[in-house]
Amino acid sequence: MNRCALEELQSIARDPYPLLRAWKKEAQRKIVGSTLTDVPEELIHAAGMVPFTIVGTNKPLLRASAHLPDNACSQARSDLELVLTYQRDFFDGYVLPQVDDTSQHLCDIWRRNVPWDYFESFLPPRQVDRPSAREWLLDETLRLKRSLEFFTGEEISEERLRESISLYNQNRQHMRKLYEMKRRSPGLISNREFFDIIKSSMWWPKEEHNRLLERFISSVDETYLKDKGDGGIRVVLSGIVWEPPEIMDIIDQSGLQVVGDDLCVGWRYIGADVEMDGDPLRSIVDRHFKKGPFTPINDKGDRIFENLLNLVRQNRAKAVIYFHIKFNESQDYDLPDLVDNMEKEGIPIFVVETEYQTTHLAGVRTRIQAFGESLAQK
Amino acid sequence: MMAEKRPKAKDVMKQLTKDYYGGALRAREENKFIAYTTAVSPVELFYAHDIIPIYPENHSVMCLTGRMMPRLSLEIERRGYTSHLCAYARSDLGYRELGESPIGGIPDPDFLLACNAQCFTLTKWFQVLSRRYGVPVFVFDTPQYIRKDEARRNIIKYVEQQLSEMIKALEELTGRKFDYDRLKEVLGYSAEASRLYKEFLDLASIKPSPISIFDALIHMAITVYLRGTKEAVDYYRLLIEEIKEEKVSKGIGVIPDERFRLYWENLPIWFKFRDHSEFLAAHNAVILTSLYAHAWSYVFDVSDPMRTLAENYTSVFSNVELEERAERAIALFRQYSLNGNIMFLNRSCKAVTFGVFELKDMITEETGIPALVFESDMGDPRFYSEVQIRTRLEAYLETLDRLGVS
Repeated sequence: MNRCALEELQSIARDPYPLLRAWKKEAQRKIVGSTLTDVPEELIHAAGMVPFTIVGTNKPLLRASAHLPDNACSQARSDLELVLTYQRDFFDGYVLPQVDDTSQHLCDIWRRNVPWDYFESFLPPRQVDRPSAREWLLDETLRLKRSLEFFTGEEISEERLRESISLYNQNRQHMRKLYEMKRRSPGLISNREFFDIIKSSMWWPKEEHNRLLERFISSVDETYLKDKGDGGIRVVLSGIVWEPPEIMDIIDQSGLQVVGDDLCVGWRYIGADVEMDGDPLRSIVDRHFKKGPFTPINDKGDRIFENLLNLVRQNRAKAVIYFHIKFNESQDYDLPDLVDNMEKEGIPIFVVETEYQTTHLAGVRTRIQAFGESLAQK
Repeated sequence: MMAEKRPKAKDVMKQLTKDYYGGALRAREENKFIAYTTAVSPVELFYAHDIIPIYPENHSVMCLTGRMMPRLSLEIERRGYTSHLCAYARSDLGYRELGESPIGGIPDPDFLLACNAQCFTLTKWFQVLSRRYGVPVFVFDTPQYIRKDEARRNIIKYVEQQLSEMIKALEELTGRKFDYDRLKEVLGYSAEASRLYKEFLDLASIKPSPISIFDALIHMAITVYLRGTKEAVDYYRLLIEEIKEEKVSKGIGVIPDERFRLYWENLPIWFKFRDHSEFLAAHNAVILTSLYAHAWSYVFDVSDPMRTLAENYTSVFSNVELEERAERAIALFRQYSLNGNIMFLNRSCKAVTFGVFELKDMITEETGIPALVFESDMGDPRFYSEVQIRTRLEAYLETLDRLGVS
């Protein structure tokens, strides 16, 4: 098995900036940052730039607090901190999506306080249960395309867009394949290693990322795949991000095997592909509606709960671990009913309240371990 | 024949409120449908379709001014909701559990409309109600009205399309065809009530001002829940006439020696606004206006109902870029000759609060007027520090005094 490719992917996930700075200098490409989630990266790539999904920083907050009060979730505050302090000159431009009050204001605050050559707000629909959502997203995606073209001075041809789509589809397919391999053979790769790979794919140029993934996947031989290993207790992860990253180590160390998730830095990023047939822009829009539910976006019925229940059942998981980012309003409103509903279904759910910048994880470790032990006895 | 004595606006308001809630409570007997909606939303569609709109936010304001917090909040905190959610939502969800209300409660909903131009929180709050009552939430999605022509054209198209979707949903709910002529009539009332409401607010530009923000906060209730009706139009006519006659014509100000004419950013601290009014008056200061009060100063063009509804409900101050919001605030500073600026960071309201530091810089830079920024909560006394806030207010007024503001 090619540990080398795996280690490379992990070092990207640990700190992509020095590596990407060097790459950028060599490749002479512009980097466009976006916050979570749902910006059509294929378009940015087809415009000749490198899309990069910003997933905050765990370094101390120095400047962000002067712009966002402490009851803004640490996702928003640490995204802002990253570009105000730690990577101020790293990005050439930004496409920031708005999904709730915090991300809406973050756009304005960011635009006024961070240097940029290119800035665009991206406004995905906050409802996906009516036909207007699709038409709106098509208009908005077309607007983004025109805006990128205006910035680069070059048209995004259909051919180039198809090439980018194909590249991104490949990347998602590789990661889904790896997820399946991990499910079947838990000893192959740890939870942390797997989710690091997804994270690194949000950061590393896709051409290179695909090569690393292919190297790793092709090196896995039958002996690994036959070795089912002791994967531990099967659980599903729910939420948006898994931060700070040490939390995934704790899950590994607690004998838990992740078999499914609905995270933005997880399945939501890799779960659906863009159809290669038909108009590529429409196909990009179609993909948006194939993704799983996302807490700020209103959908029919109680899709967040229904989706989670399906994930648990389809993957024969024993429990759910829910990552709740403190002060994330969407999650705050979902949680009490979600917990009740899961319990009514007899599915244990453990809510971990986390924040970026959390350094003391001893309490979280003890509680996750105790949860794991209680599941083992069932 | 003696002229009929003109009723007092306050008494009319009391009666209108009583009739409105009375009508809502009788809705079931009269086979009428109840729609919960958000304060900034195309309520005209409900009135045009003979559906009774109910505003859980208004009911929450009554709970907050009735000092029912934190009791209502504590009840739902036990269920796992956190104390940093919107106080309206906490108060409402607490009322659902305890059934306690200053007006005997509000009827349960048949339909939920959440317009996110005002805030995103309402979507999530109404989702909780949707699960509770088994009725759908219609999210009236209004993307931020960014200052780009192409985006604005698309946004209005999207919002107009949603108005049509909403009409379809209401037809399905009631089994009745929607009457577009009736919509025009309702919109006519809305347009006139909104115009008069703004005229009422603008009385505060007179020196000395015959009204303060506290009057605005009391009298806004009628346009919030009765715009679209003739009663709202008649009410504001009466109110304006009364103020002109009793105050303006006699040169009487709302406080005796008006010196500091203040702007207030954000929603009020509902359980303290009377105290604040008295405290400030003792220091010759009066808060005159805020963008929040102007959120209902709509300008409707009755000739194109769908378009005008889309434009008005999308471009509310909380849904435009910060620069545009600052421009609107600065325009109020000029129009009302304001010389002080109190900016309240409201823990309850991320939608109106986030971005206030930027807003403050823009307003101060343009007007040269220093601002007082303080944090509290609009409805939860646990986040209100009496002594600290009074001290800050006093210090701020002393600063204005030292600067020779007049």
